[in-house]
Amino acid sequence: MTKSKHQWNILVGALILVFLFGMIFPFFWILITSFKPDGEVFGNGAFRIFAQHPTLHAYYEVLFNKDILVSVKNSFIVATTTTVYIIVIATLAAYAISRFHFWGKNLLLGLILAVSMFPQMIVVGPVYNMFLHLHLTNSYAVVLPYSTITLPIAVWILVTHFNEIPLALEESAKIDGATPIQILYKIVFPLAAPGVFTTAIIVFIAAWNEFLLTITLNSDADYHTVPVAISFLRTQFQILWSEVSAATIIVTIPTLIIVLLFQKKIVSGLTSGGVKE
Amino acid sequence: MKKSGWQPLWFILPTLIFIAVFSLWPIIQSFTYTFFDYQLNNQQKSGLYLSDRYNYDLFNETQTYVKLFMTEDRSHITNPADQNRVDKVLSQVDKAQQEFKGKTKIQKISNSEKRDITKLYQNVSSVINQINAKYKTPNGKNLTQVIKGYKQSFIQSNFIGLKGYAQALTDARLGNALWKTTLFTVVSVFIEFVLGLFLAMIMNKAIRGQGIIRTTSLIPWAIPTAVAALMWSYLYDGSSGIIANFFHSIGLIGNPSDLLLSETGAMISTIIADVWKTTPYMAILLLAGLQNIPESIYEAADIDGASRVQRFFRVTLPMLKPAILVALLFRTLDAFRVFDLIYVLTNGGPGGATETLSLYSYKTMFGQTNFGYGSVIVMVMFVCVAVIATIFVKVLGTNLMDKN
Repeated sequence: MTKSKHQWNILVGALILVFLFGMIFPFFWILITSFKPDGEVFGNGAFRIFAQHPTLHAYYEVLFNKDILVSVKNSFIVATTTTVYIIVIATLAAYAISRFHFWGKNLLLGLILAVSMFPQMIVVGPVYNMFLHLHLTNSYAVVLPYSTITLPIAVWILVTHFNEIPLALEESAKIDGATPIQILYKIVFPLAAPGVFTTAIIVFIAAWNEFLLTITLNSDADYHTVPVAISFLRTQFQILWSEVSAATIIVTIPTLIIVLLFQKKIVSGLTSGGVKE
Repeated sequence: MKKSGWQPLWFILPTLIFIAVFSLWPIIQSFTYTFFDYQLNNQQKSGLYLSDRYNYDLFNETQTYVKLFMTEDRSHITNPADQNRVDKVLSQVDKAQQEFKGKTKIQKISNSEKRDITKLYQNVSSVINQINAKYKTPNGKNLTQVIKGYKQSFIQSNFIGLKGYAQALTDARLGNALWKTTLFTVVSVFIEFVLGLFLAMIMNKAIRGQGIIRTTSLIPWAIPTAVAALMWSYLYDGSSGIIANFFHSIGLIGNPSDLLLSETGAMISTIIADVWKTTPYMAILLLAGLQNIPESIYEAADIDGASRVQRFFRVTLPMLKPAILVALLFRTLDAFRVFDLIYVLTNGGPGGATETLSLYSYKTMFGQTNFGYGSVIVMVMFVCVAVIATIFVKVLGTNLMDKN
């Protein structure tokens, strides 16, 4: 029994290692390539693990000649703005759904769920036309249609969190004469803070990763976010893989930091209610 | 729970407004587009014209030039009868100017107005032809060109009813896109599910290293799909890609460039990249379900002498069913609308081998600016998504409202 258990553990350990290798290898390879000089990304040099003449040239090129930082800045602006306003309006809605009984509540929940399910492509054409008429293309107004992706998730996760908070405190606050808004911001919000924070991270990542709306609404490179700017590297740089790698590493760093800092919160956010990618 | 009258409305109002403006209204709009031959780059079709319309901007411009040129040419005409003709037609032009005074842009036009303009065009045209036959005026040739503006200003209704859908039925490219999307969805979700479940069970068992596994799993999920796609396109590259080279050296592919440049190779490549990116996410969802299974059930199963395999099929799977269905539903819908991964990795190529529905509709709408037919493709997608969701919820009994 002990022997078979021991073997089992080794097998599990080996499988974990294979998995970790699979997950990390692409990143590892990109990291290596980013330090290779142009000459070494072709031919035999392309498959060597360590560069013979490691250099930071690719980073220098990407940072100072290819404006990758502009896209990082844009992504920060867009993702932060989206997170802030979505959290505010989603908190209100989720609170009402969780605490009040009103006509059409299930309809509203169904609607929110349906919105999170339909293909995003369906809103892109009309939203493009709307933005064209209002002269909002090539601006940060792109955060408004971001609501179609982020709002349903945010409401959904927040409702789950609010449902877990006991009602007793709010009822005693109500007896003391607090208004619903006061109850929400003085009592529920502090209690729900961890859940709200989790939701904020998920919304931030969803907004950070958004691709379709930005590429259609903001064709001007000055307003490209990271994913869109990166997608243009493929044609722009042709086959300068060391620069592509350096750019990838740079834009991945903010995501990595968020994941490392908040992994537990992200996991709890993802698992509370079926959340889409 | 309390009944609170109108109060909840104020709480949900902002959310309702956003959903209405940026989700519901665009859906209705897209649906409307499908009934029109709506093409942004074609002047005659760049709007939704249910009835016939007239481009008054172009009309006014035409009028100005006709007057200008004719007045100038009149001084080159010697015969008084001809002069008379020109004067008469000029007064008709003035009369039309009065009739349509103040009208700009593209507006609806009535049948009588249509007749008036057609008559004006015929009169002006016949006078110009007569003059041109007799004299060589400086603007004679210009005028024959300019007056075409009267006719070009007519915009016919581009309402086509169900013709867009009829076109979709016989569109082989759409059929191909539907097939590729289905293939991609079924294969990648299946692999993700099997690997994800496996991974979740390992994570559930592993005592040490859970933290590092979780962190590592989250990285592919968290990085933008477009960035991941670019990364993979390097690994798959025919000359410098390590994965392409590895597959070649173990004999899986005949040529390193086959990975992205052959039909099956490209499909397999996109599926691998998708599996890499979303398996960990699937595993995390399933892990949460696994952790909810009470240990006592396994103990009871052990007492009854269940084997490992029996434990898995008789206890784990049935208990995990709700979590599995939710995870599968969301992953299937996500895979079905895949866009950025394929857009960056293969752009649908080679030769449509990886062209999914969303890519085809994107190309139609923003490549050819054909919003009408692009919207038809989107509607096909919409119907598919609705069918998938209905199957999951009604037939398989996925419970999405569970916690709420």
